[in-house]
Amino acid sequence: MPSIVDVCHLDKYFGRLHVLKNISFSVDATEVVCIIGRSGSGKSTLLRCINFLETPDHGSISVDGIVINASESGRSYHRRLHKIRLKTGMVFQSFNLFPHMTVLQNVIEGPITVKRTDPKEAIEIGKYNLEKVGLTDKRDEYPSRLSGGQQQRVAIARALAMQPKIMLFDEPTSSLDPELIAEVLNVMQQLVEDGMTMLIVTHEMGFARNFADRVIFINEGHFVEVGSPDQIFSEPQDQRTQIFLDALKRFNQAENK
Amino acid sequence: MNHTSGSDVKSQSELIEELRKRQQFRFQLGVYLSWLSLLIILLFAFSGLEAQFLGIQIRTIKLDFQFIRRHAPFIAGGIGLTILLSFFSIILASCLAFLGALGRLSKIPFVYALATFYISLIRGTPLLLQIIFFYLGLPQLGIRLSGMVAGILALGINYGAYMTEIFRAGIQSVGIGQREAALAIGMTQRQLMQRIVLPQAIRLVIPPIGNQFIAMLKDTALVSVTGFVWEILWRAQKQGRAYFRNLEALFIAAIFYWILTIIFSLIQGRVEAYLAKGDR
Repeated sequence: MPSIVDVCHLDKYFGRLHVLKNISFSVDATEVVCIIGRSGSGKSTLLRCINFLETPDHGSISVDGIVINASESGRSYHRRLHKIRLKTGMVFQSFNLFPHMTVLQNVIEGPITVKRTDPKEAIEIGKYNLEKVGLTDKRDEYPSRLSGGQQQRVAIARALAMQPKIMLFDEPTSSLDPELIAEVLNVMQQLVEDGMTMLIVTHEMGFARNFADRVIFINEGHFVEVGSPDQIFSEPQDQRTQIFLDALKRFNQAENK
Repeated sequence: MNHTSGSDVKSQSELIEELRKRQQFRFQLGVYLSWLSLLIILLFAFSGLEAQFLGIQIRTIKLDFQFIRRHAPFIAGGIGLTILLSFFSIILASCLAFLGALGRLSKIPFVYALATFYISLIRGTPLLLQIIFFYLGLPQLGIRLSGMVAGILALGINYGAYMTEIFRAGIQSVGIGQREAALAIGMTQRQLMQRIVLPQAIRLVIPPIGNQFIAMLKDTALVSVTGFVWEILWRAQKQGRAYFRNLEALFIAAIFYWILTIIFSLIQGRVEAYLAKGDR
């Protein structure tokens, strides 16, 4: 299978803080990769480097054949950066829907404004994707009238409407109330079954275990362990992975009591 | 408890709501009555009557009401021009404030400097001086402006400098998450500004612009110093001087300004209520 995302020797600094240290990995087409790790480990930064919401300091990133080296600038760089953003769909922890637009307008904004799709066609794309996330009946509502779970599903539809090659999820359920998490995970599960390529930063170990092809544990800017869900969750090799998973288990047990 | 009929027992929340409404009604009634009494006191102060109150002799300002009646229509003829001045000036000010705000948020040193220099210069000098300067200074450069155009330029440039901060706050109120979401779907900086930031910023900016417009209605009076703009104050001063009735003429002008302000405050209130009702 060809790889969709290739990250080579990536370094990222915030001032003097070395957030990502010489990271290399790739995501193949239709693969689902979950990145786990404690907060501050660099997992969100890595995700945001892939569509250049953060600019990497060293290394290169390639998405579906479009390559950008960290040292580049200029017109050609910006053209490729734009192409990469068109090929990646992103879902944020805090949804970031456009509050002045209805649900449908949110979804068709990208196709119409960025891709210059014919409005009629864009509306069809919008309806199709809203149906996919189960929100057809909310199309004329404003985001402020939706629950967090519904907002996140609209955000997923908005990203899908751009027909991306890969979906990036940045802790998509972390700001949701527990009873709303399932509806978002269900939509994500649907995407997995549709064969969407996905890179997911998450704390939902259940989802990672059931649907990921590969799980990456990242700590202090390094990949500590990469493997199948079974390997990572059942027989973690590295002590740091074990400590992290144990802490998470204890936390979840305490919550379920 | 006060039951109107035996069967309908009101719920607690209904009773609380009723109480709240009654309190609000009483408050508003009190406000209206107080306004009325203050207005009567104010009118009395200009009535020319004398009164004894607790043994104190109270004197009031005496006005020539015949003069007022005769010359009010002439002064009222300036209302249109006052509104026109304010209208064009606020449009110019808004354009400048928008550019100024972009400059204040720019990362290009010269653009940032241009914006801050403009704001500093204009806020650092009196509006009256600026108006005179535009009228007297520009002809030396071969630019001859009518009093009206000089007034609009001076007012617009002056208010633009103050309103820059309003626009800047409006633009900055649109959070980083909105920008990132727009960039992530591939928008350019320009599309991000037009489609995402400005539509949200404008909602926040319109109420303070209304406020500035109301302030400007009265600052247009300063344009009368150029001597050629027949707005309210200029007309009042002309009639006042001609008939040695300055106080009466200014009294008329004051009333017109006040009424204008009240009307536009009401309009502003409506606009604000409409904006608040939106989808936020």
